[in-house]
Amino acid sequence: MSVYALEHIAVAICEALGYKFGSGIGAGSFKETFSATRADGVRIALKVLKPGCSTERSDREVEAMKRCAHPNVASLLELSEIEIAGTRHSFIVEKFMAGGTLEDRLRTQLISRSELLKIGDSLIGAVGHIAAQDLVHRDFKPANIMFADTEGEAVIGDFGVVRDLKRESLTMTYFPSGPGTPYFAAPEQLTNDKALIDWRTDQFALGTTLAIAHFGVHPYRWDGEDENQAIARVAGRSGPSPTFVQMATHAELPALIKILAPWPVERFRTPAMLLEAWRAQRDGD
Amino acid sequence: MPAYHQIGHDSQNLLFDEGLTRFGGAILSPLNYTPEEVATQLNRLRERETFVTLFDPHLYRPQSERMHLPSWDYYPKDVETADITSEWWAGIIDKLAATALQLNPTAIASPAIVPKTFPDEFYLGLVENGNRLESALQGTAIRATQTVVANLVDLMNPQRAMSIASIMSKSHIEECLLVLIGNTDPRRELADPEELKGAMKLIAALENGGQRVTVATSSSEMILWKAAGATNCATGKFFNLRRFTISRFEEPGGKGGGQLPYWFEESLLAFLRQSDLLRVQARGLISDASTNNPFSKAILDSIPAKESWLGLSWRHFMYWFAETELRLSNGSVSTEDLLTTADETWAAVASSKPKIYMEERYNNGDWVRQWMRALEEYPYFG
Repeated sequence: MSVYALEHIAVAICEALGYKFGSGIGAGSFKETFSATRADGVRIALKVLKPGCSTERSDREVEAMKRCAHPNVASLLELSEIEIAGTRHSFIVEKFMAGGTLEDRLRTQLISRSELLKIGDSLIGAVGHIAAQDLVHRDFKPANIMFADTEGEAVIGDFGVVRDLKRESLTMTYFPSGPGTPYFAAPEQLTNDKALIDWRTDQFALGTTLAIAHFGVHPYRWDGEDENQAIARVAGRSGPSPTFVQMATHAELPALIKILAPWPVERFRTPAMLLEAWRAQRDGD
Repeated sequence: MPAYHQIGHDSQNLLFDEGLTRFGGAILSPLNYTPEEVATQLNRLRERETFVTLFDPHLYRPQSERMHLPSWDYYPKDVETADITSEWWAGIIDKLAATALQLNPTAIASPAIVPKTFPDEFYLGLVENGNRLESALQGTAIRATQTVVANLVDLMNPQRAMSIASIMSKSHIEECLLVLIGNTDPRRELADPEELKGAMKLIAALENGGQRVTVATSSSEMILWKAAGATNCATGKFFNLRRFTISRFEEPGGKGGGQLPYWFEESLLAFLRQSDLLRVQARGLISDASTNNPFSKAILDSIPAKESWLGLSWRHFMYWFAETELRLSNGSVSTEDLLTTADETWAAVASSKPKIYMEERYNNGDWVRQWMRALEEYPYFG
């Protein structure tokens, strides 16, 4: 029996749309993702929302993706609903990323310095584009960074906890932390300092992702400490560990250290400044 | 960077005083002057190349501090009854932009009130006002300046400065006018090291984040703001020891001789009454900075002649302020040097025989040690 509870729904959607069903490729709190192939041969990712999960948050995810149009941001091909056995199911169709995720790649090896710079360059472009739409992704992490193929550019997907800065936040002020993945989240996200959330929150999570991808260790994780202690250090705004600072300095990656500053004001102020500083690191390549 | 002259009551003549040419800019006040008077000041100031004129709309307390404000088009007529919302500010900012275009100053500060409390939402509102003003001025040569109002008591919380700076750095504007609010009595030095450390941390965070800071209504503590990296500091003829306090700031006594002349002595970092000055002078404790101040001789000549030196005292302080801002900016003196000298001079005052008792009880130099603490500790604050 499939581990995907919504697989039969995905199969039914594929039949209705004339797609060839592939397999389950991921599951989250609100949806399950499947691979399929359209009649024209194009592979797609089919995301089926769990019943009752077509909430304001999922609506915002779709709205956010519709607003974005950037080569390094996952694009929404279709959003629709289908009725199966008297129940309406919402689904999203996105381009399929055959190159897998950054998380997949990291299972076998860390990325090199030149890969780090290339992926960082692509994703800084994505962060800047998302910021220009007044959006904050809030969930940059290896599992959400995909590649069209093995040589392809990195693409950020999964806008499930996106924050629209022009609309009222869905997170209650009294919550101790905001949505996202704690291991990659910025301090202001962990402590639910809502007024401090902006594109620099994504900057931090991107920095954490890249640091882990290259060095294999969370930048706030001190020697001998575990993941929870690293998260606590981020929430406490203690700053990156001396070991990380030493490694990043040795690798001539000063921009990566600045990206990971505990307070937004200490990070890069604009995406353009970040991109310029990031590219300046190429000299050490 | 040069000091700015904060124009106050009846002080426009000092703008053009030949002894005060070190000032590189002026903060213009609608409180004390009508639109026509400010336009006249600007016309004269435009004759000076590179001189910066910053118009501060001064809506900090629009209900209680009106003076000439109602004669300005942007002053809200519904100030007694309006809910202060984003839309309310939008209307004011549109009129403010129109006022700016008529006056044509170098820059105009975004409007702000002094609130009862200073939550994050207040700072987000300041950013919104700043960005809106910047948009309204696009396509003109007039620069928007982001106003930042911070409560010194609030800044005692070690993390608050970084939090405020993080919010204010959302502003698209790269120049800030920092207005510090506190509970220190008018005419007393700021002396709470925790407040000072928080303010210095805020200045440093804004500057390091790429926003150039002009600190409004500064007095001698300007040396701390400069150490923290402030681009400009502004002062006025009343030494700006009159501060924004939570209640309101006091204008020094008006007509009728309510004001006393003070000599600012760098060797003590203190304001001296006449008898204090004469006793400090007799012990040879006057600094080179005072000796070289062109207004010192005129004051010392006035005293035996029993002539009033109130006007000279304003100029004496303002000359020191502008000159010292420059010395600190170009590195010819450091804040640490000034504080060390002041600490040693106060020690000499305390050990001298007969001991020098300053006329005012609280004029005892206690703040110098607190300032030394603030200077040493602020980088580690928070």
